[in-house]
Amino acid sequence: MTALNPNIPESVRAVAQDGTQLRYALMEMAAEMDGVLKLGRGDPDLPTPQHIVDAANEAMRAGRTAPTPVAGMPELRAAIAEHMQRENGIPASAENIIVTTGGQEGVFLALQAVLNPGDEILVPDPRYTSYDDAIKRSGAKMVMIPTDRDDAFNLHPEAVEAAITPKTKALLIVTPSNPTAGIVTEDRLRAIADIAMKHNLIVVVDEIYGKIVYEPWHHFSIASIPGMAERTITLDAFSKAYAMTGWRCGYVAAPANVIDAMARIKQATTGPAATVSQWAGLAAITGPQDSVAEYKAIYTERRAVLLEGLRKMGFAYGEPRGGLFVWVDSSSTGIHATELSYLLLNEARVLVFPGTAFGEQWRDYVRITMLESIEFLREAVERMIPVVTRYRV
Amino acid sequence: MSIPRTLSQPLAERVAGLPAPAAPPENVPEIPSNVIEAAVDALARGETHYTDRPGIPEFRREVAKQINEAYGLALDPAEVTITCGSTEARFVTVTLFAEAGTRILCPGDVSHIGAAAQLVGATVTDDSDADNISLLYLTPADDTDTINQLLDRAEQNNWWVVWDLSFTTGRPDFHPAQREELRSRTVTINSLSAHMAGFRIGWMAGSEAALRLRASKQALTICTTNVSQWAGLEFVRTNEI
Repeated sequence: MTALNPNIPESVRAVAQDGTQLRYALMEMAAEMDGVLKLGRGDPDLPTPQHIVDAANEAMRAGRTAPTPVAGMPELRAAIAEHMQRENGIPASAENIIVTTGGQEGVFLALQAVLNPGDEILVPDPRYTSYDDAIKRSGAKMVMIPTDRDDAFNLHPEAVEAAITPKTKALLIVTPSNPTAGIVTEDRLRAIADIAMKHNLIVVVDEIYGKIVYEPWHHFSIASIPGMAERTITLDAFSKAYAMTGWRCGYVAAPANVIDAMARIKQATTGPAATVSQWAGLAAITGPQDSVAEYKAIYTERRAVLLEGLRKMGFAYGEPRGGLFVWVDSSSTGIHATELSYLLLNEARVLVFPGTAFGEQWRDYVRITMLESIEFLREAVERMIPVVTRYRV
Repeated sequence: MSIPRTLSQPLAERVAGLPAPAAPPENVPEIPSNVIEAAVDALARGETHYTDRPGIPEFRREVAKQINEAYGLALDPAEVTITCGSTEARFVTVTLFAEAGTRILCPGDVSHIGAAAQLVGATVTDDSDADNISLLYLTPADDTDTINQLLDRAEQNNWWVVWDLSFTTGRPDFHPAQREELRSRTVTINSLSAHMAGFRIGWMAGSEAALRLRASKQALTICTTNVSQWAGLEFVRTNEI
């Protein structure tokens, strides 16, 4: 694979080694252009369901806007616990729940609560690099666990166990995965649970895309396995399943002493989540769930269109089993992923993220979202074809 | 079956000694109806997605304008980041300017930044002769002579300065960034917590580190709650901050 093309603008080159900043540099570049089809950021284009918006409006107009306890509104914590018991089989009660200011803060709080400098945390590769800052601030060391396209980026229990050292304290699992859209299947999670119990590991599992898993696959929560609840921190948020990214409201389930520690940290980092967002979250989790199924059906249809387009372009990919992305093997172009992303943006006005934004060695991959309408996804494919054809070696 | 109360491994050492969360305030002021209706209107427009990570441009422009008018400064809106209350602004500035082993000089109420300092491994001191001071934290509640003496020291020692207006109203016409030597090293923190605390709106403004502060905030919460920002914008448009 070639080095980064010197023609790429300095604003992108300057941050090419920092996955998160690289994504933002491309988004900012796209914002300056007209007519860009944005298949980069994981922000659902669909609206927050109306009954959720209505609940927020009603709360605000009724004056229910005062700040809540740092760990969240008691009624929301109780509702989340009940939901996690019913939907995920996690035996949670309200004391096991903290409401966070979005899912990303949940990751930060959880890792600060459990990791000391010098600890090691196992992280599947590729990764959502926004985890990096939380791990770095804890002083822990990230140890990568390889995953591969032929296995749809499922996590290998053998690879997990092989990476364990006396310093290993935790394992991070993201299922469905950002960026690969792979899931960790139930059989693998059960094997990983055995390893976690054998080596006394904490499992931090991000399930933010757990409600968006495509047939015939299903989502499974590792914390539901007997013996795992005492060592598992489960992260989730309303952002993806209910199209609520802008409300910044997430939640974490864990043993009560972890929740207490996270609340103490949260008091110093952001305070409670916005009250209006918590009322919206309560409506989301206790109200009708039709929109979750409806949105999943929309994504399923878009996924088929996007995959057809990718095959038309001659791209391979790991089977996207959940979430909102396709992790595309772009090695057939012979172009560094950062350069390919730049070319697609500059010449096709299509924003995708380079694989290097999710781990420096992923120079042969790009992440493409399905967060545009079918009409726009088809147009994006048609725009990308001539660019890929022109530059393919 | 229920989740055991205690994790199977010890918690991180940094957690020990952190204070328990305070109870939420009682008797908060009623929020003006125009602010509530601005929030309702924003939701009707579909403002339910991520915003630009530093915040909606209109809000950042208004914050910069009001700071500039109040103190005779020339902040660019690009130097303003909207945060989840002043709590996030303080945490982000502390984590960026005070590494483990450094000290934060604070002549006033240390409770504002004590926990944030503990989380990054820094210590808070009121001794201006202490070693390894990287950040001077001041509020308008601090004594005037002390403020001026410490700002002199900040100039001499290249300390970062945080001027936190979120607990006490500002001093008319006074701002540390009015000193030429400190302009690029001073961050202003403020919030709307006295008026609409539950919306969690604050900001950090100014300094040559503005882009790094923005990136640190993004790493923590990505952006501030969209609808809260529209409510906050309406408040600052109709009130002086």
